[in-house]
Amino acid sequence: MAERVGIVAIAQTKYHPNRADAFEGELAYEVIRPLLEETGLGFSDEGNGIDCAVTCSQDFWDGRTISNTSVMSAVGAHLSDEDKVNEDGINAIYCAMARILSGRHDIVLVVSHMKESQADKSMVENAALDPIFMRQLGFDFLTAAAMQARRYMYKYGITPEQCAKVAVKNRGNAKNNPFAQEPTDITIEDVLGSKLLASPIRFLDTKPISDGACAMILAREKKAKKITAKPIWILGVSNCYETHYLGERDLAECDALVSAARKAYSMAGISNPLKEINVAEICEEYSYQELLWMEGLGFCGRGEAGRLIDSGVTQMGGQLPVNPSGGMLSGNPNGVAGMTRVAEAVLQLRGEAGDRQVPGAKIALAHGVTGVCGQHHGVMILGKGSRR
Amino acid sequence: MANRVAIVGIGQTYHKNKRPDVNMPEMVNEAVRAALVDAQLRPKDIEAVITGNMETFEGVYLPDHWMAVEAVAFRTPGFKVSTGGTTGASAVEEGFNFVASGLCDVALVIGFEKQDTGDTTAAITACSTPVWGKGMATGAIGEFAKQALTYMEKSGAKEEHAAMVRLKADRGACRNPYAHLKLGLKSVEEILQSGYLVWPIRLLDFCPQSCGACALVLASEGRAGKITKKPVWMADMITIHQLPFRAGIFGDITGTEPYSQEVAAEKLYERNGITNPIRDIDMAEIYEPSNWEEMSLYEHFHFCEKNQGWKMVEKRMTEIEGEFPVNPSGGVLATNPIGATPTIRIAEAALQVRGDAGEHQVTRDVKTAVATALGGSNWTVMTLLKRSL
Amino acid sequence: MTQKPEYIHIKYTKPRYYRWSTGKYMGKVYKEARDNKKLVTNRCPKCGELLWHPEPVCGRCKVYAGEDWVEMSDKGTVLQYTYLVVPMWNPHMGERWANPYPLASIKLDNGCYIYHFLEEQDPEKLPKVKRVQAVWKEEGRGQGLGDILYFRAIEE
Repeated sequence: MAERVGIVAIAQTKYHPNRADAFEGELAYEVIRPLLEETGLGFSDEGNGIDCAVTCSQDFWDGRTISNTSVMSAVGAHLSDEDKVNEDGINAIYCAMARILSGRHDIVLVVSHMKESQADKSMVENAALDPIFMRQLGFDFLTAAAMQARRYMYKYGITPEQCAKVAVKNRGNAKNNPFAQEPTDITIEDVLGSKLLASPIRFLDTKPISDGACAMILAREKKAKKITAKPIWILGVSNCYETHYLGERDLAECDALVSAARKAYSMAGISNPLKEINVAEICEEYSYQELLWMEGLGFCGRGEAGRLIDSGVTQMGGQLPVNPSGGMLSGNPNGVAGMTRVAEAVLQLRGEAGDRQVPGAKIALAHGVTGVCGQHHGVMILGKGSRR
Repeated sequence: MANRVAIVGIGQTYHKNKRPDVNMPEMVNEAVRAALVDAQLRPKDIEAVITGNMETFEGVYLPDHWMAVEAVAFRTPGFKVSTGGTTGASAVEEGFNFVASGLCDVALVIGFEKQDTGDTTAAITACSTPVWGKGMATGAIGEFAKQALTYMEKSGAKEEHAAMVRLKADRGACRNPYAHLKLGLKSVEEILQSGYLVWPIRLLDFCPQSCGACALVLASEGRAGKITKKPVWMADMITIHQLPFRAGIFGDITGTEPYSQEVAAEKLYERNGITNPIRDIDMAEIYEPSNWEEMSLYEHFHFCEKNQGWKMVEKRMTEIEGEFPVNPSGGVLATNPIGATPTIRIAEAALQVRGDAGEHQVTRDVKTAVATALGGSNWTVMTLLKRSL
Repeated sequence: MTQKPEYIHIKYTKPRYYRWSTGKYMGKVYKEARDNKKLVTNRCPKCGELLWHPEPVCGRCKVYAGEDWVEMSDKGTVLQYTYLVVPMWNPHMGERWANPYPLASIKLDNGCYIYHFLEEQDPEKLPKVKRVQAVWKEEGRGQGLGDILYFRAIEE
């Protein structure tokens, strides 16, 4: 890539269990307005304004066909270009990056919004499963994840305590994050004693219902450097689909993530993730997922994530802190979560992460996931300065 | 760092009213196979898959996940876009961006809709903000009825002209093996006798609901020449969205606001040195949801002056043998699987450029073609295709 | 003799429940309609146009619109109307409604253009309906624009 793509500004709402005070468009404007004020950019058709927007929202969650119409005014889409990506927010950033690298746009606004409080999670997720076989079994993402957790724990001997450690770590990390929804001090015993939802997943292994929005502005290298003194470059990115039917793959593996990660690392020139990445923000909707996804990302070998979290490497202060923001478990809506991870990574690299800052972070990894049992993953490597 | 991008493979299903013989992934697979065969490529050659579909119409959230294998997206990068009626073209645009950016060299773009699953009008009525337009939307049909009324009043077009457009569409559809509605309409009188759906739109005036899929293989310049001898170059694409008019959705009743079609056409033409559209472009595949809309679209895209669209129809300029053929494939009036329709417009225009449209190939030699999409609250996507850049 | 294939269809009807927030701006319209039988909206400070529905950004000017609330008259002039012949399925309420009431685009006096129903159902008389006034529900308001039953033709 000759010219790089930089993230010049980010904004996120404080995640909240029920934003009944805001319609989707208002929620999106809450994050877009600060971006416009911070960068001084306007929506212009030519010159140095925002050329187009990429939005990310889910029609089924919003209960509205063409859900991007809710945010149309806020993203300046009137008589301008806009597109809507359906997967998790990290893929909208990937899409925006392609728009810039194609040479057809210079500055792109990306925004993702979601109000989980408005819809019925189980019903929406059940609709994601194929209507012929799996839907009739009454799956939603929780029960499917429970199957995956059970399989993963069985195959590799991961223990419920190790999964619980993820929840304890992340909710504790969230105390340092002013945007986090539910920072709490919990212990492993609290997690293992919480209500069993779908064996082996317990209440504190899951994330709360959450409303929120996240937005950022991407720009091509020359313009990015003019807009901000601290542009963060996207060094590598990819995403990947897995098969849909749960019986067609070994749920204890996440080969789609391995594939996406491999491509992203190759683009960024990373060969040893554990050593070369300074901070990782991963989407873990259920606690076991952080362990499984770390294996897919190559932080450790297959089946070794339990040992990895036991070793303390992924704690704050460890060699590779994972989810200093508190991750999804402390409250992040689906669809926005991947973009939030990128936003947090940007804050880390800019040195603006406050109490949750990982000192001296130069290379960060962000990850997003969509679909049942992690059918679709997106991985992004970010860095400041030059890296080849 | 921009690559040039060409369409190197085109595939469609035979669009029908109902497809009880296949489920959604199987239907998409038909189009995907056809495109791969056309391009003489294998699934492993595809480096990214971008899908376009309105998921609320089939009631499957994340349909691209369900068909990950059938759409050759297994262990491949990709994502789904959905922007309403323009979805199929937005998917092509994202494919175009991906290949042009160098992030991949060969991409597969799929637009599909299986409308025998679910209630499309209900889903379209659900486009309105739930807390605002509850109960006051009539689906798309009501909007097109209002547009037709406005057009009749302002331009002097008569129902005969709308019927002539419908006849042209059916003639094209009967020569297009993939088209859905092949009615064998014989005359304007026959059409004028059919019943109204929402006045003044007749049952025949409006596009059907079809099941179908369309897939395109896009490749970068370096690969296109190796894949096919007849690449169709994507010279340019433009997307313009707009807020709903203050009065009216597809037609501005007050006549004071700009149309996204005009803004898109003006920018596209200016960027590509087109000063006389019907001379510089050889044919168009436009997204016309109703025959009345087709006439006003001729005006918005500057194929003719304002309020003269119906005259182009009267002079038969837009027939297959005409000076400026529009929708020789039968257009949306004959075939409308919503997610696929814009992709089909681009595919049909590409077939014309390649000279492969068979019986509905236009008489005029097609070096440059334009394909358009319409959706949402009058959003537009335009694509410019060329035989050589 | 070839057998006709048997196609198995899976019928699926599932209601999805939503709790949509009106938010701050549309919420004010709901409140004024319910409490005071008034129609309000906000105005863009740059172009001076009324935004319908009210929202924080003027989509055309792409600037923050603020909360300059304006009360609109509930009288207006009909610009255009259409009426349904086919009973449509209303997904928001989950029922079929062969809406007998024609839907019209109405320009409110000192207000904006809104869509709403007309009381007059006879297609012969509809072209004469020009000036209209809202007929509010007396009880059970709280549905935003649904608090107006329809617009009645008035002599003016």
